[in-house]
Formats: sequence, C-alpha cells, structure tokens
Amino acid sequence: MSSAAKAETPFFDPITVEVIQSSLSSITDEMFATMRRTAMSSIIYEVLDFGVALFDAKGELASSGSGIPGFIGMLQPGVAAVQEKFPASAISDGDIFMLNIPHRGGVSHLNDVVLIMPLCHERRIVGWLANKAHWVDLGGAYPGGISPEATEIYQEGLQLPCIKVIEGGDLNESVLDMILANSRLPETTEGDFWAGVASMRAGRARFLSLLEKYGEEAVCFAMDDYITLGEQIARASMRDLPNGEFYAEERLEDGQTIRVTITIDEERFIVDLRGNPEQAKTSLNSSRDATFVDCQMIFKAITSPDTFGNAGSFRPITLLVDEGSLFAATYPSAMGIYYEASMLLFDLLWKALAPAMPERLTAGHYASICGTFMGGPHPETGDVHGIVEPQLGGWGASQDSDGINALYTGYHGDTFNVPVEITEQRNGLMVDRLALSEAPGGEGRYRGGKGIELDYRILNDDWWITMAYVRSEAGPWGLEGGLEGSTNYIVLDRASGEQTRYTSCTAIPLYKDDVVKVYTANGGGFGSPSDRPADDVRRDIRDGYVTAERARAVYAVDV
Amino acid sequence: MGRVRAASDIGGTFTDLVYFELDDETGEVRSVATEKAHTTPPDFERGVIDAFVKADVQLDNVSYFAHGTTVVINALTERRGVKTGLITTKGFRDVLEIARGNRPDFFNLRYQKPAPFVPRYLRCEVTERMTYTGEVVTPLIVDGVDDIVQAFKAEDVEAIAVCLLHAYANPMHEAAVVARVKDLWPDIAVVASHQISREWREYERTNTTVASAYVQPIAETYLARLEERLADNSFDGSFYIMQSNGGIDTVEATKRTPISIVESGPASGVLGAAALGEYLGIRNIIAFDIGGTTAKCSLIDDGQVAITSQYMIERSRQSAGYPIITPVVDIVEIGNGGGSIGWVDEHGKMHVGPQSAGAQPGPVAYGLGGTEPTTTDANLMMKRINPDYFVGGEIKADMPAVEAAMARLGAQLGLSAQEAARGIVRIANNNMINALKLVSINRGYDPRDFTMVAFGGGGAMHATALAAELNIPRVIIPAHSAVFSAWGMLMSDLRRDYIRTQPGRLDRLRAPLVSATFMEMEKEAHSAFVEEGIAADDIRLERYLALRYQGQEHSVTIPVTSGAVRENDIDIILDDFRTSYEKQYTYRLDNDVEVVNFKVTAFAAVDRPSPAKIPPSTDIESARSGTRVVDFDTLGVMDTSIFSRDLLGAGDQIDGPAVIEEAGSTTVVFPGQQVSVDDYGNLHITIKGSLDVLSS
Repeated sequence: MSSAAKAETPFFDPITVEVIQSSLSSITDEMFATMRRTAMSSIIYEVLDFGVALFDAKGELASSGSGIPGFIGMLQPGVAAVQEKFPASAISDGDIFMLNIPHRGGVSHLNDVVLIMPLCHERRIVGWLANKAHWVDLGGAYPGGISPEATEIYQEGLQLPCIKVIEGGDLNESVLDMILANSRLPETTEGDFWAGVASMRAGRARFLSLLEKYGEEAVCFAMDDYITLGEQIARASMRDLPNGEFYAEERLEDGQTIRVTITIDEERFIVDLRGNPEQAKTSLNSSRDATFVDCQMIFKAITSPDTFGNAGSFRPITLLVDEGSLFAATYPSAMGIYYEASMLLFDLLWKALAPAMPERLTAGHYASICGTFMGGPHPETGDVHGIVEPQLGGWGASQDSDGINALYTGYHGDTFNVPVEITEQRNGLMVDRLALSEAPGGEGRYRGGKGIELDYRILNDDWWITMAYVRSEAGPWGLEGGLEGSTNYIVLDRASGEQTRYTSCTAIPLYKDDVVKVYTANGGGFGSPSDRPADDVRRDIRDGYVTAERARAVYAVDV
Repeated sequence: MGRVRAASDIGGTFTDLVYFELDDETGEVRSVATEKAHTTPPDFERGVIDAFVKADVQLDNVSYFAHGTTVVINALTERRGVKTGLITTKGFRDVLEIARGNRPDFFNLRYQKPAPFVPRYLRCEVTERMTYTGEVVTPLIVDGVDDIVQAFKAEDVEAIAVCLLHAYANPMHEAAVVARVKDLWPDIAVVASHQISREWREYERTNTTVASAYVQPIAETYLARLEERLADNSFDGSFYIMQSNGGIDTVEATKRTPISIVESGPASGVLGAAALGEYLGIRNIIAFDIGGTTAKCSLIDDGQVAITSQYMIERSRQSAGYPIITPVVDIVEIGNGGGSIGWVDEHGKMHVGPQSAGAQPGPVAYGLGGTEPTTTDANLMMKRINPDYFVGGEIKADMPAVEAAMARLGAQLGLSAQEAARGIVRIANNNMINALKLVSINRGYDPRDFTMVAFGGGGAMHATALAAELNIPRVIIPAHSAVFSAWGMLMSDLRRDYIRTQPGRLDRLRAPLVSATFMEMEKEAHSAFVEEGIAADDIRLERYLALRYQGQEHSVTIPVTSGAVRENDIDIILDDFRTSYEKQYTYRLDNDVEVVNFKVTAFAAVDRPSPAKIPPSTDIESARSGTRVVDFDTLGVMDTSIFSRDLLGAGDQIDGPAVIEEAGSTTVVFPGQQVSVDDYGNLHITIKGSLDVLSS
C-alpha cells in the first residue's frame, strides 16, 4: 500500500517535504552521473558541456544536475517549446522530444541538442525531465558545425524543430537514421544520443518510485515548495547587496561598444541591455534566452553561490534587451559562437558589479571560452577524430588574494581538461608543452592568475583547425590600480618556419609537424603593483611567475 | 591463555585495540576483548603499545598483529609531510599546478584552487619523451639529473618524486632517473610513479607520486619505531599493515610506497563483511557501517570487494581536492553518524549533519555540555536506545536535557519534541538511503539481490529501516558488531593490485598479446610474493580487463579466466562486456570496444581465525529482559520485547517488534520482521518487502 492512499490533507509535514526535496536533487545527480559515464565524447564527460534537469508540471525548473553554472537555466525554454507545440493529448508516457534551434527553445547553438521527456502519472503530466549536451557533429558547412564565418543558421548543421524521436518508449528509427546520416561522426553521435536516453530513463524510474512512495500530491507540493524556497533564498540574500545603478562598457575588437546598466533595489535586479549593437552577420550572436542565462549566473554569484539554483532563484531578475541585437539575435541568424557573445556579456556584467562588491567578485579573468576545434586522421588507425575543447586561463586577483592560475572560465564549473596522455592516444597528435604563461600582465598588490601555453604538434597531414577567441586585443581588466592582464590567441608555427598569429580562423589546413601554440590570458591585477610586498615579489621571482627584469620595472623590486 | 591475534587502529582521540584469544587446538576464537589508549601524537607508536599494556596482553603471546594507521592521511591533510622536489618531463613541470582546471563550486567566482604539494621552484624537468605506446621519441639526457640533485640539496629537499609522461607504458626513463638520483644521493627518499601506478593521466599520477614522496620519510620512521617497540616487548609474531585496498601487506612493502595505506582502516569493515559472507555462503553484500560522525557503505558483488583507483582527498562541493590513484576500497561515506546534529537552517529546513557533536561534548544525553540534539538523542527519545542501559550502562542518559533540546528544535518548525526526534531519524535515514543508492541502484545493482551486513556502533539501529526502504530482503548483524572492523583486519589476506594502462581496440589486440600482458603482470606479482618468502600454494591471482566502447571515458571491469587467452576467449570477453554494460546502462551498441586497463590482483592467504560457535538455544524467555514502549514512527508506538543479545542461543527466533541490546550497539527490529540467530551468534533479520516502514 502506498502512503498516497493515507494522505487525506493537502498539508505535508516539513520532514516529508525535506526528504522529497533531497530526493529530487539525488535524481538529477544520478541523471548527471549516468550521462557522464555513458557519453562518447570528451566534450561531454570531461568538459561537462551538458546538463540535466527536472521540472514541475508547469515546466518550472525544480532541480538540476550540472557541472556548469550556465547549464542550470538553459533547459527551461526547451520544455516551454514542447508545451507550446504539443497539446497534452499529443504527449504520452515514454515519449522523448528533441530540439536544438537556439531561437526557439534551444537557447545556445545547434550542437547543443535538448532531449525532453514528460513524467506521466495516471495519464497526467506531473513533471518533465530534460537533457542537453554538446554533440560533436550534426553536419553543416563546417566540421564540428561551428565557424565564425557562418552567416545563417542553415550553414551550422541539422535543425531539429521540436520533434518526437521516441514515441511511447519506441524509437522512431527514421529520425535517428536521418540525424546519423547528417553527422560526420555518426558512431559518436549515436552513442551520445543513447547516453542521453539512458540518463533520462534512470531519472524517470527514480521519480516514479518517489511518486509511488509519497504520492503525487506530496511530490508536487514538495517541488512547488522547493521553487518557493529558491525564491526566498534569493530575496533574502538580495538584502545584502548594495542598491543603485551600475554601468560598464567595453570596446569590442571590431570597434563597436557594448554596454550595460544594472539596477539593484530591494526587490529587483534589472539588467538593461537596450542600445547595444545589432546582431552580427557572423555566428557571434546570442539568443535572448542565452542572455538571460548570463544574468542568472552573475545574479547567483553575488547572491547565494553556495545553494542550489532553480526557477525560484532567478525570479528577481528582469531583462531588457532589443530584439535583433547582438544579445537577442533573431532567426535565422547564425549562432555557433554564441558562447563567446555570452562570455563577452557575462564579463561585462561582472565588470559593472565588481567595483561595488569586491568581496564577491574578482578583477577580470581571461573571459574567453577559447573553443579550439581540430580534427584529422589518427596516424595509427586512420580514423578521423575531432577535438572540441575549451582552454584554461588566468583568473583575476581579488581584494585579498592573487588570482587563480589555469582554471576554466566563470561560465564553466566542474569542467576537466583532457590529460595529455589521453589526448595523444585518442586524438593522435602530440603535446610538446603545457605550461603556465610567461607573458607579463596582471601585476598588482595582488597579481592576476596565469594563463597557459599549450603546444599541439600535428603528426600527419590532412588535419584542420577552427577557433575563435575573444579578449585578444585588450587584456582582462584590473581593479583599484591593478594592471590589465595579457591576451588570448594562437600562433600557427608551421614546419616551414612560418609563424602566424590568429584570434579566429575556419578550417585552416594543418600538415605534419605544424605546431598550434595556444596562449591564454593572465587575469587582471587588484591594487597598485607598488603596494605588493617585496617578499611576495621575490617569491614570484624564485618561482618564475615574474622575471627579475619585469619585477624591477613594475614592482620596483631588485633582487 | 591461548595465543592472541590482535588488531589496532589509530583514531583521532583513541587508539583502539581488539584482540581475540584463540583456542590453540581448534583455531577458533575463544574470546574477544577491546581496549583503548589515548592516541599519542607525534609518537603514535606509544599509544599502540600503551593499549597492549592496559589490556594486559603480553606481546610475546601475540602470534599475529594487524595495524591500521592514519599516519599517512594525517600527514597529508595537516600538511606535515617533508620538503619534496619533483622531477618531470621537459615542458610539463606545471602539470602539478594546472591540475585539471575544474571548479566544483561553480556559482562561486571567488573560488580557491587547492595549492600543489610542491612549489614551482622545486619542480624540475629532464629532457626525454615517450609515446603512449612506450616508444622513445627523445632519449633521456640523464646527466640533467645532476644539476637538479645539486639544487635540491641546496634547498634541503627531503624527498624526491619522479613522474615522467607515459611512464605507465614504459618505465625505463623513470628507472634511470631514480638510479642516477640514488647514485648521487644514496640517503634521499625517492619514488617514481611506475612503482605506485601504471595508469595513465599525468596529473593524477604526478600528484600521487608527489604525495607518496611527501609522506615517505614520516611513514618510514613511524613504522620503524613501531617495529622497534614491538621487538623491545618480545613480539615475534607476524606483523602486517592494513592497506587501502582492503588487504594487508608487509611493513617492508608499505615503507616503499606508503601512499598505499592512505585509507588504512576504513576498508577493514568491508573486508570483514566479505569474509563473513564467505563463511555463510553469501556472495552479494552491502556492507554498512555507522560510527559516531559518518556512515560508510560499500558493495560486494559476487564475493568481490569493489576497488577504485579514483580516490580523492579533500574533494568537496567547494574544492577540487587532490587525486590519489592508488587502489582503494570503493566506499561512499557521508557525514551522518550517531553524533550528527539535527538543525534548522535560516529558511526553515531541517538537516542532520554533517556537523557532529563528536566525542566531546557528545550527544546531549551524555550530560557533558552538549546542547544540540543528535541522532543518538533522537533514538533515545524514541526509546529505541534504552535510556537506562546507555553506552552499555556506563552513562545515565540525561533525558530531561534531551527532551528540552528536541523541544527547542521542534519549536522552530512547529513540531513537538517527539516529532522532532522522528524527523531527525527520518532525515538521517534518508541521507543514508541516498548513500546506499549510490553504491547500488546508481551502479546498476538491484538491492533485492543483496544482503546488508550492518555494523559499527549505529549500524544495527538503522539497518532494518533502511533495508525495508530499499527492498533489501535480509540484514545480518554480525556478532561483536561494534568492533567488527577490527575483526575484518584479522580476516584479510595479503593483497596487491597491479593495474596497467595499455589502450587498444580489443579486436585489434591479438589474443597472444592479451595473454602476454597478463602473464608478465602475473609473473611480477607472483615473484614479488615468493621473494618475500610466501609459499606458492598460498598465492592466488585474479585477472580483469577494464573495457569501454571506443570514445568513452568510463570503463566497465570484466573478470577474465586464467591461463592462455585464445581468440574465442576474446569473443567471450566482448560479449561479457556488452552484457554487463547493458545491465548497467539499459542499452547495447555495436561500436568497437577498447581495452583501457589490464588488472591483476594477487592474494597471499594468511592463517585466519575461525569464528566461535555459541551454545544452542535453550529458553528464549531467559534472554528477554523486559518490555518497553518503543516509537516505530509511522508504524506506531507499541509495547516491545527487549532481549539481551549475550543470552541468545543458536537457533533462537524472535518476531518484531523487538529490540536486542548488547554493550556496544542496539538492534531495532520492526513489526513484521523476523530474527533468527545462527550458530555463530549472527542475527539474520528477514525484511518484508514493505515501503511503509519509513514513509509518512
């Protein structure tokens, strides 16, 4: 006998509610772990470019499993898209929907495929599960789908406009066949598809046993209460924020200026992005939904970074943005490099707020995903492999500590780099060197963290590279007199001896013994370098974080 | 007095000694006793000897002594290791500092990355390079070691770690560097990565090697002193150190790579559960241990203790921690034990743990100044623990203080004191259920196929409720369950795990190659034991392959039969892999299958004591010490028979509701559950498949 039968009143004791809520987060944790263990590509299991989530019947985020803060808020628009397109009568237990168009619920770019599954109980929809992951290739004009040169979304791969791929538990083989036919890496794609399905099936089984035990009413009440709790936590922490208007602007490398005004009062966090440049002709655009995710991330970082996030956590946020602008591009704009547009904005929001809340925010970090896409035949097996990797970089100094060396961006989280020993075996290239940056920049009372220098040696012909980094002209911003950091770029060091610097390129051919040298930025400094204690400078010299010459010039310290 | 087998375990406050007196004729355990002495940092060996003295056990009468020690983990977490230098491949000295670049506390933009154990100026490079197949691309310039040793001497370095890229595939360069270091500086402690791990991932292997070097002089000194003190007291029995992999090993082997005892101790209860299972013919077990501050669980599948080499120290939601890739029993541990505190957060949510009242001041009931209600206090309120026989009757439980503390907690949520107590138990149980799911359901195991063996001070108290919730059909509360971990130490074999990363597609690796790798590893394992004087008959070897679909990261481990591997064996292995994978993840692929690791586990059997039989059942009434009203939460508050465990006989049967009391723990039997006592005094409790025990 299930306890649902015993429940006669709509009130649930706080202990039961707490137990259900902690079970909700263990459901999404399990979905996350299953996806990670079964995925086929390192962009999923190391970079953690994926998220899973559980929603209430209305489609409001109740609990999520993610290693990346950006993915917490990225799945809700997908559920809304399914609800909008399909009446409840057209949805049955065991269905799985699929979508990826960023302007229409997909949020990010076509490579991020969203799977959505209704949770049904006695023929009613009582909740939803979603899984969104970066698939390495869905076709399109460029290998890996992503290129700064794309001008329309049609060039970026197969569009999946909210379709059923599994109906009542049965695979629609035609849909999967079509997707695989469009992918340059069908085996990996199929593996990642099934990994997503396995993850949601695990979540569904766990959710159903929760329903069986506590009854639908109690579970729904607990979900609702959890979202309310998210909102209470957010509102309570807003009381500690300084109220006022906070402004920042940044000149982009193409000469345009982006700007933001953030207004904080007791109740609201208003991000005003009106008046920003029009959407680009390239793929450096982000959707309104992606822009909202940026607002969520910075809001969470300054309010309650130590607690869970759900739909309630973000209710105080208001976003004002012009349709058709860089931060709310409209269909059919290309969107492949949305993550750098989003990163530009995230960094801008951070820059606006940091001077007012130095206890929560550091000086600027390297602020570029530094997405690096390479591929070619493996010298040993001849199999064609693709690398899709972000790069590590330096973080900004804070009011009481040096910046962190070699960490992924604020957009990332529990993201792991791919070990040299593994990348050499799997991808068939060689890493000559992986070291902390030797570039000057980021000095201060507290110095910015170091970026990296990473040299990939190509071992045979017929390879290619695509990349697009930002923060390649001006380094990360300092605070309170701390110096600007260094910049992000690559140098192609050809076997012929020719060297070329790039900040963006598409499918440039690579040949045996060419070396791709990746350089990422040092973070910005905090406080004037002249205030850095001489002992700290001497320790930096001993450890090789600064040269004696640079120490003399910037810190006026002699050894 | 018969010969004695003893096990000791050093804890933060006390050094525990458990000793078993054996019948010289039958080898059966005649009696079990325990003693505690204060832990005596920094001379931990003193506490060990003190415990023997206090117990009045003559060391010359001890035939076998197994020792678990936290000396390594303490030196790591308290940063009390020695000044360590690192020698690595040119171009890669920053790997130790770059680590993996992850930030688990992902909303927090003021994250602090864990600092490396070796600062940058002590990380030096030699010119050399291998490929992942172990081919030399750049020969080692061994002369480069000379300047590094000079520099390390000038900086008073006390230990050196050597970790070169792809040394797991070919350790030749590492061995040459170590040889040169030893030539130039014979007294220095030096360890190379291949001596500890032949698995890939340069950061993880480097960090593990560095950690081992960092603690080596400390562990070596400690073990040498302990050996000396034991010899001073005329000890001439066998002496073993408990390893993280659930086996024991010799002192000599432990001194060479002390990182292998990083989790010495916690694993022994799991070993005990496996050994008990062997006795009782039970192959599938969930071992579950509740202590004062934590609960630990681990799954034993078909008699095999789960081992992982992805162990981390100081990993939390706030910190990336440090990887230690030495084989460790795969235990999930959560901050929920008898001393865990129930509290209400600022948003009106009740939690239990991870803060614990510890031994000082302890639960409110101790009357030592504790004011925060703990799980133990809640069990007292519910009369599951006897307030008049608390801690074996040593302490008079301060029930008015407990009630007042529960009332204060309940008031914050509009609950009565009794409801607050039930709330603590329910939330603590739910936390433990989530941990138990992590080791079972989440890894594709169905709890209905398992028996729970519960031990530690609190295991018996919660096990039956948890088993009911998870549909585990049977719970065993072993004899002497409070000191069961120490029993596990005495039931261990010598165990060494050899893991070698040798990636390749299974269909492309020919059977002879697979055979050759296994044979080579087995030869190494076998001759190491033989050289140490172990009889060939006592040695047992097991082999496994870690496999995955090509492109994946996570692998699934499949046992492989011994002897020569033939082509059709490869097909069997492939099929086993696909079946095992499908069981865990619901689907099957035709994709290529890749070998990641070859594994060989080598056991050397040691002489084990046999558990003693208890007298047969006489009259169950003589074991009944009375009745009291016990709170079974949603099942009601009811008159419950209380039994004294020491008076139960083999074959006794008890129907729940019942409470069975012994000095170190209390077994709670819910209505509808049945207990039967086996010949060795273990309690077998049959759990009805009921979900209602815990629900509201």
